[in-house]
Amino acid sequence: MGRYWEITSTWGVILTVSIATWSLAAATLPVPDYFLPPPSAVLSAFVELMAKGMLPTFVGESLRRILLAALLGLFVGVPLGLLLGISRGTADFAYPVLNFFQSVSGIAWLPLMLIWFGFGERTILVAVNYTVLFPVIFNALLGVRSVPPIYVNALRTLGASRWRIVRDVLVPGALPNIAMGVRLGLAYGWRALIAAEMLVGANGLGFMIFNAQAFHLTARIMLGMGIIGALWLALDYFLLRPLEEATIARWGMVQR
Amino acid sequence: MTAKITIRGLGHEYVNPFTRERVVALDGVDLEVEEGEFLTVVGPSGCGKTTLLNILAGLLPKTRGTVLLNGREVTGPGPDRGVVFQEFAIMPWRTVEKNIAHGLEIQSVPREERAAIVRRFVELVGLGGFERKYPHELSGGMKQRVAVARTLAANPEVMLMDEPFAAVDSQTRITLQEELNAIAQATRKTILFITHSVEEAVFLGDRCCVLSGRPGRVKALVPVRIPRERRGWKLLMSDPTFDAAKEKVFGLVREEVGKEV
Amino acid sequence: MMRGWRGGVRALGRGVLPFALILIVWALVTRAGVLPAIFLPPPSDVVRTAWAMLKDGSLWINIGASLGRVVVSLVISVPLAVGLGIFVGLRGRLSPVVEPIAGFFNALSGIAWLPLAVTWFGLGWVSVTFIMFNTIFFLVFYNTLVGVRSVPRIFEHAVRTLGGSRRHVIFQVLIPGAMPNIVTGIRMSIGFGWRALIAAEMIATSTGLGFLIYNASNFHQTDTIFVGIVTIGILWLLTDRLVLQPIERWTVERWGLVSSGR
Repeated sequence: MGRYWEITSTWGVILTVSIATWSLAAATLPVPDYFLPPPSAVLSAFVELMAKGMLPTFVGESLRRILLAALLGLFVGVPLGLLLGISRGTADFAYPVLNFFQSVSGIAWLPLMLIWFGFGERTILVAVNYTVLFPVIFNALLGVRSVPPIYVNALRTLGASRWRIVRDVLVPGALPNIAMGVRLGLAYGWRALIAAEMLVGANGLGFMIFNAQAFHLTARIMLGMGIIGALWLALDYFLLRPLEEATIARWGMVQR
Repeated sequence: MTAKITIRGLGHEYVNPFTRERVVALDGVDLEVEEGEFLTVVGPSGCGKTTLLNILAGLLPKTRGTVLLNGREVTGPGPDRGVVFQEFAIMPWRTVEKNIAHGLEIQSVPREERAAIVRRFVELVGLGGFERKYPHELSGGMKQRVAVARTLAANPEVMLMDEPFAAVDSQTRITLQEELNAIAQATRKTILFITHSVEEAVFLGDRCCVLSGRPGRVKALVPVRIPRERRGWKLLMSDPTFDAAKEKVFGLVREEVGKEV
Repeated sequence: MMRGWRGGVRALGRGVLPFALILIVWALVTRAGVLPAIFLPPPSDVVRTAWAMLKDGSLWINIGASLGRVVVSLVISVPLAVGLGIFVGLRGRLSPVVEPIAGFFNALSGIAWLPLAVTWFGLGWVSVTFIMFNTIFFLVFYNTLVGVRSVPRIFEHAVRTLGGSRRHVIFQVLIPGAMPNIVTGIRMSIGFGWRALIAAEMIATSTGLGFLIYNASNFHQTDTIFVGIVTIGILWLLTDRLVLQPIERWTVERWGLVSSGR
């Protein structure tokens, strides 16, 4: 109990001090108003955008896009990576390709996508899904290839069929890498999403803060930034971690 | 009566990928293992013990010779030859009971029967109460018990054990040896057990097969005429038959080690 | 020795084969005229444009701009972040408090700072470099912090029982012990940093590879876009091969350590 009190009180102090310093700085620094709005301005921006219903829309659009990409990554990327990884031949072939295309972020493809699809939803989705998919496929492939052969051999001596080995050994064995790939893919993807929304428009948090800059609505920018950071932490806490808890953490195989 | 396992003129060669030399791991091994026999195989490092086991298990192809189980050629791996590996090859993502059940699952044994068999073997290896634990929660000795239980539960014709106790501490090792002894007595399984510990080989084996240094051949077969019921460490610590056999095997192995050095 | 270089050539061939195949398919598709050239230019066009850009220096200027920003950001933020991370990590009272804050800024780092940066510094290389700087800084800082805090206490005890002072503990245990995390942090930050940089260059400045491809799309110069994309990919692979892997091999792998960083 004493520990909790210590933590909360420390946090309380930090929060109060930060807000106080911030407000003081905002009030006294010799810079234009729009440079450093006080915390109160950020709060009123929040209230305003909620009242107008704009904030839920911004957040909703961004979340929708990233969750779609997550679904694609999980249900298409993981199986694809596993399939490619199972056979030595395909794995060796796919590895350099995946490595290369993974390093070229979806954002780099955005200008090409603008030519193909114009300034719209599809461009954003292609860029973000690409960004999420490649690390997932790549790491799933790596995961399968890095399952210690002894597990495969053990199952062969029990008379398992190829399919059984895939199901009982290769897939679970690849999970730590898959988890890492999903985490990485989503981390890159979330950032690519914000960038894409800045460039393409079409709603979303990236658009929100980019647009706000054009009108010097710095409080809105800060609000957006705070939400962007908080949402990633939420994604981590409510999506990624539970997935890891249920599987690799339970098996003692975490390699965060 | 045909032997359970018949090995004739077994040879295994391969090309070392780094030095491009041809390596002869086994050069004409002749060996017969009787039904219900506990045969230990011992020899200097690199003599091909593990190669021999892997060929028997069907995990490695032979270059020449014949390997027969119950008179039939051995081709790939299969549940008729159960293997207990040196490294813990139980699945980290399965509980103790699911690991033990794995072979039965593969053989499509119906659920109730499976559960009963698993329960029996959990008791046999003394892991009662740990059924729901994951391997990372177990000690090394316990993991090996799971490995042994898994292999036994699948009811193989023979059990091949590749230095299964090498990676556990010596106290646990002694316990496991005595437990394995009890299991061998109870199940009467044909067991081929690889080790580089002469003591272990003589403690466990009905016969000790000493392999020569590379290229591996059967140097000698030393019978250990001690009834299985008497094989407990306390009893054998001052048993002259045990000491004599140990000395003999030790001498033979040292000869081979001396040749290499 | 013979095997060494022959094996190396074979490995190179294996690595190149998939790309050769892709190139062939690409050439065939464009030859078949399935898509208009503006959507998918033939590889020959791309090569021609690349050559022209190499000759007239326009590609080099942009490579230099982007690479320069990468180097500057790395040189400034890595030592700063590592130093600060170690400093805070050693302070038992401060670090548990700073860690979640650092975690939050870690989550926030990158392109999300761009509008704020532009507000403060205007358009141009300052804003863009700032983006990369903060990406690298927060990632490395956070990982260093976590690394220092997660060195097993037993090592510290060992040094103490050998008569080591606090100084010994810091330099002989905590810093080497945190190295895997630090190296991971640096490696990841370059990955995230490059991406943030390319995005930032598209939005907020007029030099650099990001700007190159974005600008090209405005003029529908698709072959330039492809030149840019391939350049980005190659540069990244080179950074990975020539900079990051050696660093890792030289420190972490040589010591047989495993990283636990994020």
